Amino acid sequence: MKLLVSWLRELADVRLPVANLASLLSMRGFEVAGIETVEGRADDAVIDFEITANRPDCLSVAGLAREAATACRVPLRLPWDEAGRPISTARPVPCPTSSRRAADGLEVAIEDADLCPRYAAAVADVRIGPSPGWLADRLTATGVRPINNIVDVTNYVLLEMGHPMHAFDLERLAGRQLRARRARAGERLRTLDGEDRALEPGTLVIADSAVPQAVAGVMGGAAGEVWSGTRLVAFESAYFNPASVRRTSKRLGLKTEASSRFERGTDINAPVIALKRACGLMEQIGAGRRVGAVIDVYPAPRGPIEVTLRRERIPRLLGTAVDDAEVVRILTGLGFGVADTPGGWRVQVPTVRVDILREVDLIEEVARHHGYDRVPYHFPPLRAVPPRPEPGMARKNLLRRVLTAAGFSEAVTYTFIDAADAEPFADGNEPSVPLAYPLSEKFAVLRPSLLPGLIESVAHNRRHDTRDVRLFEVGACFSPSRGERHRLALALTGGGVPEHWAGGHRPVDFFDAKGVIERVGEALRLPLAFTTVTTPYLAPGRAAAIGVGTVAIGVVGQLIPAQSERRGLPGGDEMYVAELSLDAIGRLEPAGDIQVEPLPRFPSIVRDISIVVDEGLRAEPVRATIRRAAPSTLVSVREFDRYKGKGIPEGRYSLSLRLTFRSPDHTLTDADVQGAMGRIMEALAQEHQAIQR
Amino acid sequence: MPDAAEIERLRAEFQAALAAAATEQALREVRDRFLARKGGVIASLMKVVAGAPPADRPLLGKLANQFKNDIEGALDAKRALLESGRPVVGGVDITLPGRQAPLGHLHPLTHVRDQVEAIFSRMGYEILEGPEVEDDYHNFEALNMPPEHPARDMQDTFFLGQPVPQLGLATPGTRVSTRPAPLDRPATLLRTHTSAMQIRYMEAHEPPVRIVAIGKVFRRDNPDLTHTPMFHQFEGLLVDEGVTFADLKGTLTAFVREIFAPDIKVMFRPSFFPYTEPSAEMFIGCVFCGGDGCPVCKRTGWLEILGSGMVHPSVLEAVGYDAERYTGFAFGTGIERVAMLKYGVDDIRLFYENDLRFLEQFTF
Repeated sequence: MKLLVSWLRELADVRLPVANLASLLSMRGFEVAGIETVEGRADDAVIDFEITANRPDCLSVAGLAREAATACRVPLRLPWDEAGRPISTARPVPCPTSSRRAADGLEVAIEDADLCPRYAAAVADVRIGPSPGWLADRLTATGVRPINNIVDVTNYVLLEMGHPMHAFDLERLAGRQLRARRARAGERLRTLDGEDRALEPGTLVIADSAVPQAVAGVMGGAAGEVWSGTRLVAFESAYFNPASVRRTSKRLGLKTEASSRFERGTDINAPVIALKRACGLMEQIGAGRRVGAVIDVYPAPRGPIEVTLRRERIPRLLGTAVDDAEVVRILTGLGFGVADTPGGWRVQVPTVRVDILREVDLIEEVARHHGYDRVPYHFPPLRAVPPRPEPGMARKNLLRRVLTAAGFSEAVTYTFIDAADAEPFADGNEPSVPLAYPLSEKFAVLRPSLLPGLIESVAHNRRHDTRDVRLFEVGACFSPSRGERHRLALALTGGGVPEHWAGGHRPVDFFDAKGVIERVGEALRLPLAFTTVTTPYLAPGRAAAIGVGTVAIGVVGQLIPAQSERRGLPGGDEMYVAELSLDAIGRLEPAGDIQVEPLPRFPSIVRDISIVVDEGLRAEPVRATIRRAAPSTLVSVREFDRYKGKGIPEGRYSLSLRLTFRSPDHTLTDADVQGAMGRIMEALAQEHQAIQR
Repeated sequence: MPDAAEIERLRAEFQAALAAAATEQALREVRDRFLARKGGVIASLMKVVAGAPPADRPLLGKLANQFKNDIEGALDAKRALLESGRPVVGGVDITLPGRQAPLGHLHPLTHVRDQVEAIFSRMGYEILEGPEVEDDYHNFEALNMPPEHPARDMQDTFFLGQPVPQLGLATPGTRVSTRPAPLDRPATLLRTHTSAMQIRYMEAHEPPVRIVAIGKVFRRDNPDLTHTPMFHQFEGLLVDEGVTFADLKGTLTAFVREIFAPDIKVMFRPSFFPYTEPSAEMFIGCVFCGGDGCPVCKRTGWLEILGSGMVHPSVLEAVGYDAERYTGFAFGTGIERVAMLKYGVDDIRLFYENDLRFLEQFTF
């Protein structure tokens, strides 16, 4: 809302310099977006206020003037008679019919009073021409283009009072009628902006006896527009249902000065006052003369609401007491009717204040004008034991620690992604959850997995010349059948170890990725098992399902080159990825503290063994055979070399394992271990045709 | 007879000898000449001092001892200097870079989040995340934003193309509640604020309530320097008997002083949120210009940092609380905003590119 300061000064005797006035109103909740100077007027300026959605009354000079007058403790001088407002009068007399006829044959009818509770109109005999300079200047300064004296008068009243009006060329209205009714199927209207618009049935329109002439509260029609040849004008000044205007404005994609006020709520008692103000102004500038009386169709008049304000609630909410006199001064200044009661006040709310519905709203008014800075600082006492933190969050923080310690940096990627990127990563054959109206194709569906975003982030780094990339993310994924699920994902490419002058550099491989997952398992105290798996986005033979017992918790493997290449990564660069379900982990993680094992009291004996076996044989069955054949003193089996090539027959490979034996209650002898080794070797030969090297 | 002048002469003699010693061998000779137990310059000096008249002895003794200490210090320093240039058999070039185990970096948003969580945990708040997909009731209606409410425009929403099952309150906290389980509705939108979680929590718990909901939120904004369609928010809620606007001011001031600077200036200004009344925006003195006015604070000297207010009684009533008995305050802000101010980040999109050159600047 652009406010011309000199205009405000006309309504309230506020002499503060512009900057102080801006700051004064800002401290009362009217954010200042900018201040522009007015050419040739050093003492004037246009202050651009951001008016919050609850204060449509301040989308007007009068509304802001009332705030400024209250803040400065000066009277408000409105250029119209406030007597019509219900604060100072009894309830208006209901009008028995919903249709009235006026001078020059204008007939006004409300057919749908739920959407249009009040419709006032007046007829004027006009001479269309340009507005006088002062009026045009005020409109221009406030950002409204002058059109002709009649339209300008309605816009002037809109800016001054905040009440939107419309002017029709009466002679172009069929039957000289204005009817507030819902649009009928198939009805169309060419609006003032030249667009031919289809009107959805149910849209409130202002029609003549035949066709719609305006989209009520949003924009008038081109056919009934006031033009240079207009001789008779019908002024409309109505109250429209805010929700209805809002729906219509949204549906038509049409936001106007009028609609933005109607949809927030205008003053239901303003129509007649605004009409009189407009007619007065019209006569003042010599643009025309009202003919006959004002028509006011108002089937069910509404009175002002009354709200009780209890004295004791003010300090209970604000934490500071406010003097009674100050409370009364503020509320009265803002236009409220205030009557004393034993416990406080009975407050009559002016109908222009559509935001004031209950006691707490009044306390805010008092607080705003009393000053938030006058409320002290206090720290609330803690009266209950704070609950324990959510276990899921502690787990995520643990995983963050483990992964950063493993060289992975944390990524945060978008929750919505490209549908084509998502597709290979969806569980089963489920499609991804689409957004109804995505911002773009890039943000079309909710991610079914963290991997597409993470892979894109790896690719981003590669495109910017970072070769070694290790990223992880913790976050939510979505599926149509199961909703929101939480996961951990990681991706790595480039070097398996950081580049160093002493050498040792090698590219990442499957075991770098698996090692990290193993560490995650350790941190979570979960015994992980890796089994072969086929996954559309992982390279066959380099992919493993991760499980705990019979529960699958994730996958790890090499991303298929086609996926990396899609993101512009060099095809030769291997990227490894893994994803774990945090929901599954949450159900499996052991409860309770770690229980320490006593340190061994007796020394251990280590034996290395090298065997030659068939190429197709995996390490896991070898380990299993050893464990089965060994006595309980075998405490660990670890592979330490795998060799193929010279000295090993074609189709076979050599596997070296380190076995550690230890007894909890005595020192083992060489003879004990020798016997065990014999049995182990025998079992390996029998079960796997292993030959000792 | 030795006197102070004699000691000064010996000192000059030592300085010359020290300067002339260019090798470790030469330095050892200087040491022997001055510090040898037998026949060393100092040893002789000490003997003479011992024989001096009792009246002179304390002063001379002090000067001699100081001289001795100076010599020892200077010899050690010179020796260290000579040794550093000495070629060592089997030594390494210690100026080559060390071998570093790879170390990852937490995302800056996590750094800020950790601090926020730590501060509010210490103040007794329970930290919650809550679902990212929500239903209209929890995201809007229960927060005093019925359908067609103009405030819904403040947060333009992403709706889902199809409803999905709702997890609800993922972990229902630890406090025993006698409240009936809230109605589970399928999720139809991406939450526009974490306030939805406050409703879920209140539905399941009786006051007193002290929670901070933290996580991703979504609004229809095209990405630019200061907007992304997804960002992170944290929102706090305290509901109890006797909670006032003064408590809100005290709590939030404590928070910003801890997360920004202990002496930061604060200001509260009226604002509007549908779910609070009175509502307030909190400002801090501009962290870039210290309040003098700069382009970042638009020459006002102030930066908006938190939205807040006293919980609207309609919100309390929507979850079945007695709004006469209980009052509360709520507050919230964007984690990106805090991170941008703290770390001087001028483009919000950097948080989502995950460029390691950016992430690695957040060391620990």
